Amino acid sequence: MNYGNLFKYWRTVLVVAEMSVRQQLNDGFIIFAIIFQPMIIAILGLFMLQGKGADYAMFVVVGSGLTGLWSSLLFISGNSITRERWSGTLESLVGMPTPFEVIVFGKNLANVFQSLLSMMTSYLLAAFLFGYSLSLTQPLLFFATLFLSMFAFICFGLTIAPVFVMYRSVQQWENAMEFPVYILCGFLFPIALLPDWTTPISYLLPPYWAAIALHGTSTAMLPFSQIAFAWGMMLIFSIVDLVIASQLFRIMLYKARVDATLDVD
Amino acid sequence: MMKTLSKNFILFWQGTLLSYRALFAWLRPVTYLASKIFMPLAQMFFFVFLGTYGSGSGSSDFYVIGNAIQITSVSGIFGVTFSVGGDRDAGTLPYLFGTPANRFMIFFGRAFMHVIDGAIGVVIALTWGVLLMGLDLSQTDLPALGLTILITTVSTCGLGLLMGCLSLLTANVMFVNNFVYFSLLIFSGANVPLARLPMWMQAISNILPLTRGIAASRALAAGSTLSEVSPLLLSEIGIGLIYGFLGYFLFAWFEMQAKRRGTLETV
Repeated sequence: MNYGNLFKYWRTVLVVAEMSVRQQLNDGFIIFAIIFQPMIIAILGLFMLQGKGADYAMFVVVGSGLTGLWSSLLFISGNSITRERWSGTLESLVGMPTPFEVIVFGKNLANVFQSLLSMMTSYLLAAFLFGYSLSLTQPLLFFATLFLSMFAFICFGLTIAPVFVMYRSVQQWENAMEFPVYILCGFLFPIALLPDWTTPISYLLPPYWAAIALHGTSTAMLPFSQIAFAWGMMLIFSIVDLVIASQLFRIMLYKARVDATLDVD
Repeated sequence: MMKTLSKNFILFWQGTLLSYRALFAWLRPVTYLASKIFMPLAQMFFFVFLGTYGSGSGSSDFYVIGNAIQITSVSGIFGVTFSVGGDRDAGTLPYLFGTPANRFMIFFGRAFMHVIDGAIGVVIALTWGVLLMGLDLSQTDLPALGLTILITTVSTCGLGLLMGCLSLLTANVMFVNNFVYFSLLIFSGANVPLARLPMWMQAISNILPLTRGIAASRALAAGSTLSEVSPLLLSEIGIGLIYGFLGYFLFAWFEMQAKRRGTLETV
């Protein structure tokens, strides 16, 4: 996988992203995953965390938005290659001159970008339906964190998609992977509530660091040093994910072009 | 008379068994376990942690019981809906409507296995609740709790039958199913005491299955007797039957319209 192609083919990335958004916004399940499910979780969070301090509504908005980001990453980005297999277009995409990673990156960009709707919907819900006055305490830091988080999610998605398409035994656990990440990454409650042995697992998940930084910058819960540390962790994990994704794409393309087994195993 | 009854029983049994096998037999055991056991349990743990964090209370019983009982809707909503709607997806609906078989038996047969499946799911969830979350059932009349689980599952499957019929009329089955399933997390009182919900939300709660089943289960866990919760259980089963029969009438109407207009698989 040559990441230089992402710059060389930036127009293709954008066109793929646009096409993906257009296509996916017609899918009821995707609309549910990125808008309605986070909204329902936000409603529950607003009721259940009532009285957890002045910033709790913003905490719920960010946390429920993160659930939407993760569900979108898992079900949409994770299946971004598998869906091509279902529609019989995988071989054509692998065989055409445009590098395959460009297509997958564009699709992931669209998925992560559109799943920001989760956070916006939760914000509107808390502000207008529940009447909360919501303001970001550190807006610049928050949006910088959001940008980094999106990048980290896209990179994570680049590793999940080839794993799901090549190792169906992993994809079988897809449904069971949604809520454990909500729990382990502390989207809506601190991971200190969990047993100690789960903490190292949380540290290995990029969405955990995104949650730390986004909660920290939206509610001024954390000093800048800790936010910067979370940024650093997201960057490190993004680089690691890109390296892993590079190897996975190499194996996947080999299976497709040389073994010709991508669609049959 | 006996011959007709026997034939209908066989039809009911074959329909229930085959529709359930058609739904899951193609899955590998691990996929079945992931979807039917691990996903609902993970969801339960998420809301239990969220609830105990929010309430600041040392006891998680309220959330464990609410979410464990709510797990029945995995089978009741998704399972039953897919069993009813699956005939359209598989292209077998025209054959089904072409047979002289008793529609009542066919229709309600689609839910039977999911009642058993859903009840087992709740028992597994409660067991995990006892083992991992410290759920205290020492004061509980366990046979009464078992009956409550069964009634709540039947009632939720009633809603599933109605949803299954709606899935014959819409292409957005997954959207509708997920929306109803997740809405039950709010409206059933699984996670938020009903008294804290606004009046319009309480009104919706009162016409949904699960609400009274969850309330009855909590009361039984707190030491109430079967006779004390029986009004709740009677209402619960009544609501489930209303939804089930609404589904049946919709199914009959759909068949009639589809045959009259030739719109069997065009929605």
